[in-house]
Amino acid sequence: MRGFQAVADVTEPDAAVAELDAEERAVIARVVADVGLLLGGEPFGMESEVVDDGEDPVFRYLRGLENALTDPADPAVLRVLPNAAPDDREVADEFRRFTEPELRTLKVDRLRRIWHALSDDGPEWVVPAAEAMDTAAALTDIRLVLASRLGLETDEDAAELHARIDRAHDSSTGAHAAHEAENPERVWLGMLYEALTWLQESLMSYVMRDDV
Amino acid sequence: MRLVSLASAARPYPENVSTQPLIASDVDVATRTGDVWITLVWNDPVNLMSYVTHVFQSYFGWSRAEAERRMHEVHEKGKTVVSSGARERMEVDVQAMHGFGLWATLQTSGE
Repeated sequence: MRGFQAVADVTEPDAAVAELDAEERAVIARVVADVGLLLGGEPFGMESEVVDDGEDPVFRYLRGLENALTDPADPAVLRVLPNAAPDDREVADEFRRFTEPELRTLKVDRLRRIWHALSDDGPEWVVPAAEAMDTAAALTDIRLVLASRLGLETDEDAAELHARIDRAHDSSTGAHAAHEAENPERVWLGMLYEALTWLQESLMSYVMRDDV
Repeated sequence: MRLVSLASAARPYPENVSTQPLIASDVDVATRTGDVWITLVWNDPVNLMSYVTHVFQSYFGWSRAEAERRMHEVHEKGKTVVSSGARERMEVDVQAMHGFGLWATLQTSGE
């Protein structure tokens, strides 16, 4: 994996390009699609089949409104669509009712665009300059979901995860024996979280290259 | 719409004013309950310092130095006030921050 770097060529005069191998690409595309589903989007790449399920678009829209009446039950979704007024139920509910359908659409649409970019052949992940902040925002949403699944609630939790993943890397290369039994799925999720953090950081270096 | 506004514009202005004590007091109530609201952005372990800085810069139009100062305030003090004004305006800002994945809330400034 290589982080995002600025490139300029004939087809993309201003873009950031990262390099992923086929497996990294598949893993990231998968988590992008999973978060899209979690936010209520139709399965990416299968939109036409799902649209054909006979459900009236009006009902689908109304179901979206119903979802927006209270805080989401899934804590990961609540991190992506947080409560806007924890001390004032009425303000929070009204905000959710008016903004949540639009926010879900915004978030699912930009995840879908990433998914399509990752579905192209070849090792390069090309993000045109105009798409860079949408891509960074989508990476944030994915990391919020993973962080919730990993139970990261404080800066200390995040630092501890970082250290644990470093140790897991060491033990997998045989440099050290693992001192503690790690749940493999947790280690895997943690590695994915760290990789996406690193990719987003490299993308932000590109986005902010001229910020003053 | 156009006909109505043309008609009212044609009416002598003083006559309008003298017949609107009720409406005027309604407006007072609306502004009182509206008061001044604030938008807060809270610290979280996920959002990158660079990303938060750039969101502050691009959305609020702050310089990089100011955006970084406010980002550090979030990181070290747990939160910062990013805007203040009418509730509707704060809702727009909170929605934008949520769009970026930042944890923002709104409340009246007096609390």
